[in-house]
Amino acid sequence: MSSMEGALLFALIAVPFFGALVMVFFPADKHSLIHWYTRAIAFVGLVLAVYLFVTYDTDGDLGKYTVDFAWLPTLGIRYTLGLSGITTPLVLLNAIIFMAGVLVSWNVTHRPKDFFIWLTLLVSGVYGVFLATDLFFLFFFYELAVVPMYLLIGVWGSSTDFTKMEPAEGPGFGGGGKFDRPKEYGAMKLMLYLVAGSVLVWIAIVAVWAEARSATGEASFAIASLAAVEYSREFQVIFYPFFMIGFGVLAGLWPFHTWSPDGHVAAPTAVSMLHAGVLMKLGAFGILAVGMVVLPEGAEAWAPVLIGLGTVNVLYGAVSALGQRDLKYVIGYSSVSHMGYVLMGLGTLEVIGLNGAVFQMFSHGIMTGLFFAMVGIIYERTHLRDITVLEGLGKRMGVVGAFLAAAGLTSLGLPGFSSFVAELLVFIGTFRTYPLLGVLAVIGAAITAVYILRLMAKVFFGPISDRWADLEDAKPLEAAVGAALVAVLLLWGLYPFRIVEIIDSGVKPLLEGMGIA
Amino acid sequence: MMELAWLIPSLPAIAFAFMVTLGKRLPNWSAIAATGSIAVSFALFFFVFADWLGAKSFPHPENYTFVYSIDWLRAGDAILTWGMWIDPISLTMLGLVTAAALGIQVYSWSYMAHEPRFTWFFAVHSLFAASMLALVMADNLLLLYIAWELVGICSYLLIGFFYDRRSAAEAAKKAFITTRVGDVGLLIGILLLFVETGTFELSTIFAALAAGDLSEGIVTGAAVLMLLGAIGKSAQFPFHVWLPDAMEGPTPVSALVHSATMVVAGVYLVARIFPFFEASDTASLVLLSLGAVTAMGAAAMALVMTDIKRVLAYSTLTDLAFMMLALGAGSVTAGMFHLLLHGFAKATLFLGAGSVSHGSDKTDIRDMGGLRRVMPWTALAFGIGALSLGGLPPFGGFFSKDEVTLAVFLIEEPYRWIFLTVALTVGFMKALYMGRLFFSVFLGRLKPENEHAHEAGPAMLAPMLVFTTLGAVGGLLAFNWTDGYQGFGYFVFAGDHQEAFHPNWWIAAASAALAVAGFGITWLAYVTGSLRTDSIIAKVRPVHTLVANKFYVDEVYQWGIDQVMLRAGNAVAWVDRAFVNDIGVNGPGIVTEKSGTKLRLLQSGKIYNYALGMVLGFLAVAVAWWWAL
Repeated sequence: MSSMEGALLFALIAVPFFGALVMVFFPADKHSLIHWYTRAIAFVGLVLAVYLFVTYDTDGDLGKYTVDFAWLPTLGIRYTLGLSGITTPLVLLNAIIFMAGVLVSWNVTHRPKDFFIWLTLLVSGVYGVFLATDLFFLFFFYELAVVPMYLLIGVWGSSTDFTKMEPAEGPGFGGGGKFDRPKEYGAMKLMLYLVAGSVLVWIAIVAVWAEARSATGEASFAIASLAAVEYSREFQVIFYPFFMIGFGVLAGLWPFHTWSPDGHVAAPTAVSMLHAGVLMKLGAFGILAVGMVVLPEGAEAWAPVLIGLGTVNVLYGAVSALGQRDLKYVIGYSSVSHMGYVLMGLGTLEVIGLNGAVFQMFSHGIMTGLFFAMVGIIYERTHLRDITVLEGLGKRMGVVGAFLAAAGLTSLGLPGFSSFVAELLVFIGTFRTYPLLGVLAVIGAAITAVYILRLMAKVFFGPISDRWADLEDAKPLEAAVGAALVAVLLLWGLYPFRIVEIIDSGVKPLLEGMGIA
Repeated sequence: MMELAWLIPSLPAIAFAFMVTLGKRLPNWSAIAATGSIAVSFALFFFVFADWLGAKSFPHPENYTFVYSIDWLRAGDAILTWGMWIDPISLTMLGLVTAAALGIQVYSWSYMAHEPRFTWFFAVHSLFAASMLALVMADNLLLLYIAWELVGICSYLLIGFFYDRRSAAEAAKKAFITTRVGDVGLLIGILLLFVETGTFELSTIFAALAAGDLSEGIVTGAAVLMLLGAIGKSAQFPFHVWLPDAMEGPTPVSALVHSATMVVAGVYLVARIFPFFEASDTASLVLLSLGAVTAMGAAAMALVMTDIKRVLAYSTLTDLAFMMLALGAGSVTAGMFHLLLHGFAKATLFLGAGSVSHGSDKTDIRDMGGLRRVMPWTALAFGIGALSLGGLPPFGGFFSKDEVTLAVFLIEEPYRWIFLTVALTVGFMKALYMGRLFFSVFLGRLKPENEHAHEAGPAMLAPMLVFTTLGAVGGLLAFNWTDGYQGFGYFVFAGDHQEAFHPNWWIAAASAALAVAGFGITWLAYVTGSLRTDSIIAKVRPVHTLVANKFYVDEVYQWGIDQVMLRAGNAVAWVDRAFVNDIGVNGPGIVTEKSGTKLRLLQSGKIYNYALGMVLGFLAVAVAWWWAL
């Protein structure tokens, strides 16, 4: 930690981690203090992340972005952190979504202290995954990011009950039939799934560690030294799927995606935002920064499967979203669909496709954060998320409607918003490698237009019922959050040069390390 | 000046940003910002045009285009740029779009004055102008696609301007989704070319095409795929269904977006990538066939519609199809010429229609008649516009129709006579529906309930009359004036096919005669009443029903959406719930739980159960041992 940048990286994780631990000693009834304290933690992270992003040196030496402590030398475990062109935007994403999530959680009154402790711990875990360059700590932070989810959903979440719902009039909005999903179910399912994924990842990590030790005679969990080892092709082909599926579960890889819509729907607003916005990216990041880096030949062998499943994600998620009648389920399935573009981009193993995948992680994170923030406001005001009942809200909730529309337009790939650029890069990568899948991906984007515009037309347009005469539009704080997120989407949608330059500076060496580019 | 052409789209874009962020605080400034910015853009157009005339050795086609671009994104080996391409096609479009946007905004001041969302209207109008201008100047397919999508979203927002009306919300959605289906093709075509050539830049792509670097399959494939986008945007069969519904938007929107400018973007696109159609006979034939089918069908529908704006919408479809026919026949000159004159005439007609419904509160032409008595200026403008688009000499529309017909006449055998018949028939039908529309609205007896109707104010009349004049005299552009300008074909042309004006008197006479016949018949039907339309309709009842129901195409699509697409959505949602979730995920959970419940019974805590187990186990081991021995 000789450089200032190293200190900043260290602080990025330490501030929320120890900040959460300190919060344990706060009096539980001082709600305002707790809110402001968490906002301060989020703000510190945001400032650090913005600073690192703005000053990131794409040509320079990455050595200054390091932190290195010995932790358990006999097993080769060190506490090492680092930053790359790939992680810089993702760290910024996490900081933005955490800040936004904390701000829209102004209305959490049920045990706010516990809520914010878990939320903050989760966020420190996410920072950790992005920054850790030692697999042991990467895995530790990965678990730290996942476990609080169980409590956050189980305690502060909301249940869904469609068992007594009247069937929707007209075609569509079947919503998958009559079912109910208590929040405990969502929490438990999410937990079991992600833990199952973690087990696969852990098996692969230990296998790689052992294989590397027997090859070099040196014990190390450092990603760089593990990646330097030449593993046999058989070993790679056998163990890469553990990474791909294990991390893929968290990325919503089909058919292991079902935890995600149920989890999103059950979670409270800020948790949905972090969950869909950032947590799902950890999975995709894991495949990229661990799986592909350590086992490149395995990645090449399995790339067709990854890109194929990604395409299934895109289409299956989009078509499923078309059939949903719960606002949050629509967005939940849309996340499954959009994560498909990330997985496709990773599966291209091609420089533009990978650029697109990373940019899409960032862009989808911001977009889905905006989505859930706005849906959260609607749910808070109307206590409804049923598309067939909500109608004409635009008259009363013009601001919420406008922000939701912005998220929706981002989602359907409207130029001007950053997802267009990200998806374009994924399309280019896919057309260069598997053109037919590229065609399907473009079609998926058109289906997105159908479900998004259908949702907008139903919920916000049309005549408003008297029932919503007193509906309150977004409060200034909520509107500010919405505006900030839209501004981010627009900024890199209109002029993506800088962010793609940063991503590209991380992707190129990664592919070179894999022996591809 | 030419390198500052980027200001032309940027100014309205800035006005948009201003109105969206500060419009609520400064409501009085919104219309000023919008109209001011487009007025400056309009003025800049003249500077750019003059500069272009001076900079190139007009009329010789060397150094014909000018390209300026900046880096927008670099990833891997791809460098994507934003740049401008200034050539006669883009200059024609720049002139048309800035003029139409400016005139129609002035008109809207008064037309939209009482709307609560006045600022929003002007904001989206500005964004539309900005995107449309960027579209026509784009030097690469990616920027073109970006602007293409942006005009689409503006169209969506403007059609849905009265968003609390269910029909408007539905029409907006329909417009966006229908065009989006075409855009899938466009994007795939663009990506295909990127993969083949490594660039989005038109000049490089055309160079590769000229050098023969692209295989025949790729050329035809890319042309047809991009054509899908064009026919979506220009509402050609089978994507024509959205445009008539788009009339739900305020009338100035119909005038600008849905007749004069945005819907011609498809025609513009085909003209822009014309080398592909030149290189592929298959693609040209597809283009011709779609144009012919749309022209015939739409002209028939225009004859039976009764809503004033819908008649105009179907007539727009017909004219767009006419432009497509010209391009399919290989004449960029005729296509762009008709585009220009149609733009002026159709702007006139829509502004006139707006004035009619503004002044009389009527939209159904059967409730009108004799309105020239109460709104003489509107009647004059509308009349000239109708006669012009009906193709009656000496108005502008006659000359552009003639150029198109001539282009079709020059198609090579064996298709020449088929398409020439179509072109002449459609020319006749254009006169019929325009005559029907104008005569039944403005001539004849004034109904008593319409006596209160009033003429529009000067702010609405002035732009209308300007467009009327431009449309009426625009035909003069066709003529051979000087050595430097020997007709429109000397200015806009494809490749190196610069052509001077040379009329074909047979074609001109035939098409003029058909126009006269068309207006004559409708005069007898709607003015003197000596021709009974209901008896004609009665004789062709089934055909009339078919056409009046728009050939049931909407119904077929609705069925497809409800019964196929949404059912698929429901089915997949259900499968995800029932199989992937309930069996795939909950299944193992239930199995674990159930088997746990059963296995639990083994640990009953009762000593005799354990004793039994021990005895059975002992016996099993004994038997196994015995077997092994």
